[in-house]
Amino acid sequence: MSDILVALGNVFTIGNLAGLIFGTGAGILIGAMPGLSVNMGIALLFPLTFAFQGVGGILMLLGIYCGAIYGGSISAILLKTPGTPASVATTLDGYPMATKLKQPGRALGLSTFGSTFGGIFSAICLIIFSPMLASVALKFSKPEYFALAVFGLSIITSVSSGSILKGLLGGFIGLFIATIGIDNLSGSVRFAFGSTYLLGGISFVPILIGLFAFSQVLQSVEDCYKEKYVKTDVKLTRVFPTWEDLKRVFVTLLRSSIIGTFIGCVPGTGGDIASFVSYDQAKRWSKYKDNFGNGEPEGIVAPEAGNNSVSGGAMIPMLTLGIPGDGATAIMLGALMVQGMQPGPLLFKEQASSVYAIFIGLLLANAVMGLMGFSLIRVFVKVVNIPKEILIPVIFTLTFVGAYAYNNSMNDVFVMVFCGFLGYFMNKTEFSMSAIVIGIILGALAETNFRGALTMSDGNFSIFLTHPICAVFLALAAISLLSPVLGPVVKKLLGKDKAKQETGV
Amino acid sequence: MECKKVAALVLAGAMAVTTMAGCGSAGGSAKYPSKDISVIIPKAAGGGTDTAARGLMQYMKENLDGANFVATNKPDGGGVTGMVETSAAKADGYTLGMVTVELAMFPWQDKCQVTPEDYAAICAPIAAPAALIVPADAPYDSVDDFAAYCKENPGTVQVGNSGMGAIWHVAAVSFEKEFGVELKHIPYPNGSADIAAALTGGHIDATIADPSSYKSQVDAGEMKILGVMSEERSSIYPDVPTFKELGHDLVIRAWASLVAPKDTPEEILTQLRDAAKTTCESDEFKEYFEKQGIDPQCIIGDDCQKMMEDDYAMYEDLLKDIETE
Repeated sequence: MSDILVALGNVFTIGNLAGLIFGTGAGILIGAMPGLSVNMGIALLFPLTFAFQGVGGILMLLGIYCGAIYGGSISAILLKTPGTPASVATTLDGYPMATKLKQPGRALGLSTFGSTFGGIFSAICLIIFSPMLASVALKFSKPEYFALAVFGLSIITSVSSGSILKGLLGGFIGLFIATIGIDNLSGSVRFAFGSTYLLGGISFVPILIGLFAFSQVLQSVEDCYKEKYVKTDVKLTRVFPTWEDLKRVFVTLLRSSIIGTFIGCVPGTGGDIASFVSYDQAKRWSKYKDNFGNGEPEGIVAPEAGNNSVSGGAMIPMLTLGIPGDGATAIMLGALMVQGMQPGPLLFKEQASSVYAIFIGLLLANAVMGLMGFSLIRVFVKVVNIPKEILIPVIFTLTFVGAYAYNNSMNDVFVMVFCGFLGYFMNKTEFSMSAIVIGIILGALAETNFRGALTMSDGNFSIFLTHPICAVFLALAAISLLSPVLGPVVKKLLGKDKAKQETGV
Repeated sequence: MECKKVAALVLAGAMAVTTMAGCGSAGGSAKYPSKDISVIIPKAAGGGTDTAARGLMQYMKENLDGANFVATNKPDGGGVTGMVETSAAKADGYTLGMVTVELAMFPWQDKCQVTPEDYAAICAPIAAPAALIVPADAPYDSVDDFAAYCKENPGTVQVGNSGMGAIWHVAAVSFEKEFGVELKHIPYPNGSADIAAALTGGHIDATIADPSSYKSQVDAGEMKILGVMSEERSSIYPDVPTFKELGHDLVIRAWASLVAPKDTPEEILTQLRDAAKTTCESDEFKEYFEKQGIDPQCIIGDDCQKMMEDDYAMYEDLLKDIETE
């Protein structure tokens, strides 16, 4: 108890709170800008933490972390340009709600609420269940990771709205892109054609900016050319989601938060996977399945709650085991060590007050993020009212800046432009870009763990069936892959059974 | 009117004089540094090389007339792009770069054309040794016990590495050669975090890697270090013997060095090396590194160049053996 009081005293100082608020604000900005990633933001502001005594610097980093995951959704909803890979899934329903339904305020309100709920939920999980969840996460070995990746890939069928075949094709393109460069397992080089750039693989962020932002710019130019510009003036009556909306999405919120927290605490998986899995599960269980892709509230809340709840989850292995759950927490681990805290099994025993301070800080960071989000929605929405003649060139410029800034590489800019044109034509032919993204995100995870698992078992495939967690995930993947094909058949059979029973009676 | 013209003339004259004076102080005399020094880091922001480089710059600027270092991360192509760019930069002391141990390995794996000879070494603040790390409850307590256990169970002891052909795999292969044993190499391309998780979760038996990444688990009594492959004992783990002490000549280290392009003028190099030396010997610098679990090194100038070239020569044999396996 005294530790908690000490921690409260440590957190609630003017300097620390200012750090936290600054971090959250900076995080939201970084997240909303395509090309600036969560990890980059934390790495860049990391030296600033030296200026703080004790937990202040850590609070700032927590603010950036939470804020940046949330910030990605703002550009995803308003511009169909995900600010971070974790908010790609948010474009699926967020953008239609903001444009087709002309309810950008509602969409942002839902995403803000979802993000805040997910973040606070996962922080509470971190406080209560961390030892338990950490031990489950440790059960994950190579076969389990492979199965998780396959399960993630099976989502393609539900995310690609149009043709499943086109979705799978996109997925394979993504998987192929993921194989380019030095193969990390064998050290051999694949598909590099002697180019130094391709040696390290094609960076993901420029592809993302190209596929979503650049192609969207091309699309908008075409729209402007065809139609005369109509002045839009969206006025907001409220920023907080309505009671009906909240009731409609509550179960989804809870489910997505659980999924996100768990995926966060498995080391090596993060917000990008969590948001897609949450979206997929939301669609599967929803009463409004057919409305997904047209601005369904559940489709906005699910990925946002999913990706923000990763924050608390990823802290679990970092604090309890000293093993970072994702790239951002890896940098935070370094920041904690600079402040003389050694995350790991001893931290809870030796520096309980610091641990409590981090808990309180994470809760607070999410609360501040929510407050900032809700109070700024009115400002964000103004983006929609900006005439396209002004907005398009600005985004156009930003796509180049973002692609270059990511790695300071001109080659990344070329990749971005190429993917932009690719994305434009894919949009025309109704290919799902999310499928490509899922393929790229999960390709390396699936491949390295598949081959690694076979190395462990000396080439024996039974390893995938004898590990229970692995077998369950593979079964789920099979069900989700086959459900669009088998679903109608099963329904027909069940219907016949019913009919038989009725005639029998 | 006339008055105005005169005034303008005087003004223009004054401007010309000041401009020329400015030129003189910037270009004429040999004062270094007179502008920002850019440092190319061939790894992503936030990684070990990046942390070490930024720490070095932060403390080194005080010893170099408050020079301003500007870091640029160029992680393309596994670091090759950034390293090549440093070697090709103008050798005027205003473009420096970090190079990593991969520079001694990649040329033998046909991944890049530059070698340590294309650079002039300034200093290596970090040279992490390979260490043999096992779970604390493992039945072996010394390097020889472990080797004996591997002999009894050929090809079944699972050793985690950060990717085949990468430095810790090479270290494990040289262990196999030295002790005449056969291990099962399990690659974890994401590196130490995943290996730590696998080791704590009991999925693998050991790893040969940089011990600083496993400090919290070792301190908590969940893992133990049986030996380090360095010349001298680590200052972070003074109780752990080196392989050399045990009679096995194995020295494998993952270094990152600050370098300049090959033809950089000698007096600038001397100035940089002196500044680096004062920095690496300062207590604040050591404290900064130790707090992050990194064993700070102070390998300066020719010593650093020799280390890079020695390793380059050593990997020729080692990597040839791995290739033919």
